[in-house]
Amino acid sequence: MEPVHHDLAGGPAFEPMIQIDMEIKAFVSVWRHCDYVSTYMARMISQNRSDSVRHSNLFSSAFNELLEVAFRTRHADGELACRVSRHGATDRIELILPCVPEERRFYEEAVSQVAGIEARERYLNSVSGDLAPSREVVLLELAVDYNATLRLEEADGDAIKLVVDLPLEGLRH
Amino acid sequence: MSPYDLLPRFKAQYDANNQEFSISGVVRPQAIDELGPSIALLRDAIGRVRGVLYVNVRRLTQMNNAAFHAFSRIIIDACRARPDLKFVVITSSVVGWTSRKFGRLSGIEPNITVEEYDSEFYPGQGFLEGGGFVPILRTQTKMTWRHERAILPRHGMRPGIVMADICCGIGDFAVLVQKEFQPSRIVALDHSRSSLAYARKVAAEFDIKGIEYTYGDASEMLLEENQFDLVTCRHSLQVFNRPELILRELFRICKPGGRVYITNEKNSHCLGEPRADSIQWTYNEVAKLWAHFQMDIELGPKSRRYLTEAGLEDIRVESFMVSNHDGDPQDFADVIAAWENVYAGEMATKRGDTPAFIRRFRQGFQDHIFAALHSKGYAGWPIWVASGRKPL
Repeated sequence: MEPVHHDLAGGPAFEPMIQIDMEIKAFVSVWRHCDYVSTYMARMISQNRSDSVRHSNLFSSAFNELLEVAFRTRHADGELACRVSRHGATDRIELILPCVPEERRFYEEAVSQVAGIEARERYLNSVSGDLAPSREVVLLELAVDYNATLRLEEADGDAIKLVVDLPLEGLRH
Repeated sequence: MSPYDLLPRFKAQYDANNQEFSISGVVRPQAIDELGPSIALLRDAIGRVRGVLYVNVRRLTQMNNAAFHAFSRIIIDACRARPDLKFVVITSSVVGWTSRKFGRLSGIEPNITVEEYDSEFYPGQGFLEGGGFVPILRTQTKMTWRHERAILPRHGMRPGIVMADICCGIGDFAVLVQKEFQPSRIVALDHSRSSLAYARKVAAEFDIKGIEYTYGDASEMLLEENQFDLVTCRHSLQVFNRPELILRELFRICKPGGRVYITNEKNSHCLGEPRADSIQWTYNEVAKLWAHFQMDIELGPKSRRYLTEAGLEDIRVESFMVSNHDGDPQDFADVIAAWENVYAGEMATKRGDTPAFIRRFRQGFQDHIFAALHSKGYAGWPIWVASGRKPL
């Protein structure tokens, strides 16, 4: 059996794969940045997955939604960092983004709701509802359709760090 | 058909004859206004149809939540306003996310069903995918490789290229190419999960890196256009009932200036001595049998026409004869025995052939084996190789 390395927090060690940093002002200046960044990073990290094309398409799909949420966040000045790392069948996306205090509360609330048992039901209600999907619903959808797990971690200054684990290799066809 | 080119990255259209609304490409709008024309087209389609509206998302590679919600709302509202109307959403098993996501809609409205498109397009695939055929496919590739390794450089194969092997089957050709020519990247695609599973197992066991085995439909690939220096598709156009659809995709993913390389057979030209007449009769019947199942095992010499009509230029065609003198004659005999097993077995039975016909049909294969193993015999299996360049 392969030895499992653990990081200081006690979880399994994720190997870094790729990181893109952008000034937040540059990122939010063009909507298509979400598409470009998600597609590029998906291709880069998928080549050694068991089905590179399918994995890339799925990863891009999930990652783009995260970036669209980040795009719609009210930001403080600073940098957006997008980092992808891997442990076995799971790819981890870390988004570090500066945000104002009420946005931090939004993310805390949204992430706690994603973990709730009624996440799937709330997602289905939103699909049949009149309103366009909120950012919270977009995060819910990652959990429902991609089996993603989400959490927030401490980051320096006014920034937050959103950590999303995507077990796409194990997602059924 | 009313095509609407809405934005460069996606296309929506409505086919009134088939009552089918289709949307394809990458749909990631910032605001729903950007979808205005395609949403109007869907509303218009709903207003015109009776009975069933097919919503084809087979080639929808990406759609963000904002767009998904906009289209879903229209369909859900229509279900509530018109209980007589049913929606059938056609997804692709290749794309990965569409079946799950659109599948949620049927839980909301019972008049929405989601069907995952699969392999019905390929009438002959089932005959050739059985696990028992794998060793024979390996043997066939071993025998053809003796010839193709010398032929391939004349058709664009060289070290460092980026290549795709479409309809890669069990992936052994890709492995041989990797070892011999060291391309920088190989994407190998097939529509058989069992074949790909075998290919991945072999690659893992022999620690072969640099080949990306991917599941896909050769007539509608997720691969982006203009990205490969060489696109190979071996012994496969002859298995499809509409090879021009595959060729259109091979052309699309090939780089301008790159080449599309195909190999095919003309089975009625299989030959042997002694017992030539019996052998020839059987292989003429093989051609008719394949035609019955909408496959063209006689496609080889038609390659030049197919490649030309696909828009390729600088067409190069050559042929070679795999024979019982290519290595061990027993290999050749094993291949023929496998053909007999499938053609005179499952296929002939399914066509409803009489026992007398099947007896004579089998005899030709047995005579071919006899010729292959005879100390003074000769047995041959001709292959046509062709390639064309995509214009710059």
